[in-house]
Amino acid sequence: MAGKQTEAPSATLFGRMYAFTATIMLWAYFTVGFVVFFLIFYLAAWLFARDREVSFQRLNSRFYRGFIRLVRIIIPRHDWQIDDTIRHIRSSVIVCNHVSYLDPLILISLFDRHKTIVKSSFFHIPIFGWFLKTAGYLPSTAETPFSQMMIDQIEKMDDYLAAGGNLFIFPEGTRSRNGKIGTFNKGAFKIARLCKAPIKVVRICNSDKLYTPGKFLFNTGTRNTITVMLTGQIDPDYGQNPPAASELELQVRRILTAAGCETNLQNVL
Amino acid sequence: MTRDELQEKILTILEKDFEFDHPGLDENLRDEHGFDSIDAIELLAKIEKIIGFSIAREEKEKAMSIGTLNDILDYIEALISARKS
Repeated sequence: MAGKQTEAPSATLFGRMYAFTATIMLWAYFTVGFVVFFLIFYLAAWLFARDREVSFQRLNSRFYRGFIRLVRIIIPRHDWQIDDTIRHIRSSVIVCNHVSYLDPLILISLFDRHKTIVKSSFFHIPIFGWFLKTAGYLPSTAETPFSQMMIDQIEKMDDYLAAGGNLFIFPEGTRSRNGKIGTFNKGAFKIARLCKAPIKVVRICNSDKLYTPGKFLFNTGTRNTITVMLTGQIDPDYGQNPPAASELELQVRRILTAAGCETNLQNVL
Repeated sequence: MTRDELQEKILTILEKDFEFDHPGLDENLRDEHGFDSIDAIELLAKIEKIIGFSIAREEKEKAMSIGTLNDILDYIEALISARKS
């Protein structure tokens, strides 16, 4: 068959220029956009909010919602299918696979009340680290100087979840480079067990095709569908014999491994 | 409470709640059993119940570096003796 093949736009000079422009625009949103459109609200929240943590989480969610919206507008070749039920999750530990730097941004954009575990070294970054701390995010380690922060956050987690907040965690800790589910850290399951919280299992697919690990430019040329699906949930019986963290880990692994990337969603965002 | 009694209680917690398989007194709980800061915080809450008083923030911070079962017992004994004095 002698079908005419069209070159993917990203392979052409125009395509590369478009990818560069789109990437610069998205970085501009992160930097200039943050200062122009959001900084004033963060300052107001810092000065006047009754609960800074809640206000910062809500502002973070709006900031990243704006980012995702901008991505969808300027990189239209990527289709997005986000399971609408995810947005309604409350009081849960959300466990998700991890394939791209975009994954935490996607999840933050979906939840007004959210916490997550962030690499401890990020807390050392001036200003950014302060934002992370004020939003109540958890450091990934508890060594000095993070031990007090970790103790405070874990001790408050029970009340936070009971009040409707979500804690989302990527138990692999790092991005998968081959799409396969990697080794899990048990922290998410230990926290769920400690707080007697239900676990929601979310699978993100193909966000790595939009922003590929190791690449600077967003991929603007390839047709792709990014899916974010609630693939399962576990409501453990935390009564007399609560399940061990390793048992919860095993259940989540089974759910994530069994879930493919194809969707049959009725309601998408 | 004697050290042996404490040891028995802590061992029960480690085996039953954390599912550690017969941890030795000087075995590194972090390397051998995956004991981490979240476990330490959970364990602190259980220790508070055993000793019958709340542990101060600064004391809790010290627990983050606990490595062995003997460390845990030393830590609890230090808490109790500090409380008495």
